[in-house]
Amino acid sequence: MNNKQILIIDDDPDQRLSLRLPLESAGYKVFEATNAAEGLAAVKQVNPDLVILDVMMDTTTAGFQVALELHSADPSSAYKEYRKTPIIMLTAIHSTTPLRFAPDSDYLPVETFLEKPVDPGVLLAKLRELIPG
Amino acid sequence: MALPSLPGKYDSENSSGMVTSRRRLVDAELVASVAWLIKLRWIAGLGVILATLAMEVVFRLDAATGPLIAIGTAILAYNLIFYLGDRRLARNNAPTAAYEQLAKWQVGLDWVAVTLLIHYSGGIESPVILFFLFHIIIASMLFPARTAFAFALLAIALLTATSLLEYFGLLPHEAIVGFLNTSLYQNGLYVSAVLLFFASAALIIAYLASSIQERLRQREEEVVELSESLQRATLRLQALNDGARTVGSTLDLSQVLNRLVMSTAEAMGVRAVSIRLLDQSGKRLEPVAVYGLSQEYLNKGPVEVENNPLAREVLAGNVVNIPDAPGSPLLQYPEEAKLEGICSMLSAPLPGKEGPLGILRAYAEEVNRFTPDDEAFLTAIAAQGSIAIENALAYHAVEALDDVKSQFVRMVTHELRSPVSVIRSLLRTVSGGFAGQISDQQRDILERVSRRAEFLQGLIDDLLDLAAGKTDVKIQARLERVALTGIVVKVVRRYELSASEKGQELEWIEDASCKEIRVLATPESLDRVFNNLVSNAVKYTPPGGRVTVSLVCTEEEAIVTVADTGIGITAEAMEHLFEEFYRAPNAKEMEREGTGLGLTIVKDTVTRLGGHIAVDSKPGVGSRFTVTLPIYEESAEAEAGETPEKSATVAY
Repeated sequence: MNNKQILIIDDDPDQRLSLRLPLESAGYKVFEATNAAEGLAAVKQVNPDLVILDVMMDTTTAGFQVALELHSADPSSAYKEYRKTPIIMLTAIHSTTPLRFAPDSDYLPVETFLEKPVDPGVLLAKLRELIPG
Repeated sequence: MALPSLPGKYDSENSSGMVTSRRRLVDAELVASVAWLIKLRWIAGLGVILATLAMEVVFRLDAATGPLIAIGTAILAYNLIFYLGDRRLARNNAPTAAYEQLAKWQVGLDWVAVTLLIHYSGGIESPVILFFLFHIIIASMLFPARTAFAFALLAIALLTATSLLEYFGLLPHEAIVGFLNTSLYQNGLYVSAVLLFFASAALIIAYLASSIQERLRQREEEVVELSESLQRATLRLQALNDGARTVGSTLDLSQVLNRLVMSTAEAMGVRAVSIRLLDQSGKRLEPVAVYGLSQEYLNKGPVEVENNPLAREVLAGNVVNIPDAPGSPLLQYPEEAKLEGICSMLSAPLPGKEGPLGILRAYAEEVNRFTPDDEAFLTAIAAQGSIAIENALAYHAVEALDDVKSQFVRMVTHELRSPVSVIRSLLRTVSGGFAGQISDQQRDILERVSRRAEFLQGLIDDLLDLAAGKTDVKIQARLERVALTGIVVKVVRRYELSASEKGQELEWIEDASCKEIRVLATPESLDRVFNNLVSNAVKYTPPGGRVTVSLVCTEEEAIVTVADTGIGITAEAMEHLFEEFYRAPNAKEMEREGTGLGLTIVKDTVTRLGGHIAVDSKPGVGSRFTVTLPIYEESAEAEAGETPEKSATVAY
């Protein structure tokens, strides 16, 4: 059992469930938020060890905004305490949309991207790597 | 251009009518006459010398040979000066005034020469007197009537002076001895009679020659005017033709209309031309293209159909010619037209397929400027303009529709993919035992469900790929220069593991010359193409087989070949290979799952990228797919102007 706290920010309850079950079975304490604003509020409330973030929520790029907010380099940022909180971003890479955004740390300050559907084994391995112990 | 008013060349600056065309005509004639006169004078000078010698040698007459030859020589001498002067004027592109000056000097000196010739050949008795008459004709041809008469009077004065001086013995009489033996120069009656007849002959000739010349000039002017109006007509036809071509070549509405108003104004030779289109409410006319009107005039106020009798009249389908705009009751803003200096207006409706689109209007500063010809011309232009406007509007509508389509595809992408994706996530969670222990049978069922969900996901992806290619007319705008080798290598790497798991050999052969080549595409589309081909090759090749991917380049093309030693394609299957949802029976047998869309997508994508695909196969032996893509040349980029921006991959 570990006491690590994970915040899932995703608007899809089924997706949240599919993430929550493997996390909880691995002993993580899971918190959920259903949109960007709620997610940001929850970060302050929970102070999670890691955030799992969906890109498309209320808007197609809501997840990007949350990531930019949390990891802002601005010293006056309201979230400066969470700058180091690792983020796993869930993506559904597809080429047909004109909104093309490279999953690239140059563009987005997130630790890693996981493609949906998420394989629980891969997710847990990633967590062990990002927040060991 | 340094071309001075070339006769016959229509030039809008000089088109203001009679005065200039007449002026040009007279000028050109004067320049030509000066040269012609100089040529004639060589003969005249030589003639004087030869005639004197003939008198002396052949007829044995005793004349003032010395002075006569001197006069002939002098004529030749001053003609040489005129000759050089004329050449210099021509070289310096001198104004006509300089030629006129030269002509006056010539005629003046000729007068002196003729007078001297008369004096040295017998004064009033001299037959040379007659020479004055053709000189008067020449002067009439060169100069306006007034100047010609002045020269005629000068001739009369010179002859009268010479004969009177001789008569009174103030000037020695130089008779040609042996020609006339009576001394007629002392016969008052004879002298008076000759002088009187000479004077009347000179004046009559000056009058006749001037009149004939004047009439000739008038005729010529008519010809010039006629040819100018022909040229104007040609120019109009050209404007019409330009309009037609503009309509065909560009779909940018404002560009089309701005060109149209400008060329119309130029072709009609008027101050301004405007196009106003009805707004969406159909109540107001908004200026969309204007040439030659001031901003103040355009800002005069809204043009509302309700308050504008002229607009109503024109929109009803009539061409309206207003000869005196400031005084017309049809105008909504007569004061403003007056301030703008507009006196005539010609308005033609822009006829649309479903009612009038707006008004094409020409403005002129002259009162009563527009003729029925202008009306016909403006109507023709309006018809062309309407086509342009409707084409552009239709194009905008298609573009808007395309945006809607793309948005739809985007929405479908998300709406279809996410539930399937969530289903798969949940299935993995359950089959991974994260939701409690499951029995073997349950696991087996979950795996079957997973396979179906995965197939569904693949089908959706393929359909979207296909839809993306078919619906996105703007795909060209997104193309970028993509390093082909990198993409192919990435795809080959992707399948290395599965190939080795199947005991296959996956080989990659690269032509060294292809290292740097780029093709105009998107990385995703290229990935899609080669991923499909390599995945098929690995899928349909039995264990122990071989898959070879190679890239070779010619000067213009990159050729990627994906060859396998797989099950091959039958002749029958070959016919349907690229059809949507088609799967060959032997492929189905080997792999149950498959959408039958992969090769359709490959062919569709390759075709859109300007390439082509070829297949070569023998059942049981293997297949070879050859994709040929045009190599993007750097020079083409400079011509195209801008490089497509680097774009990235989609993620959401």
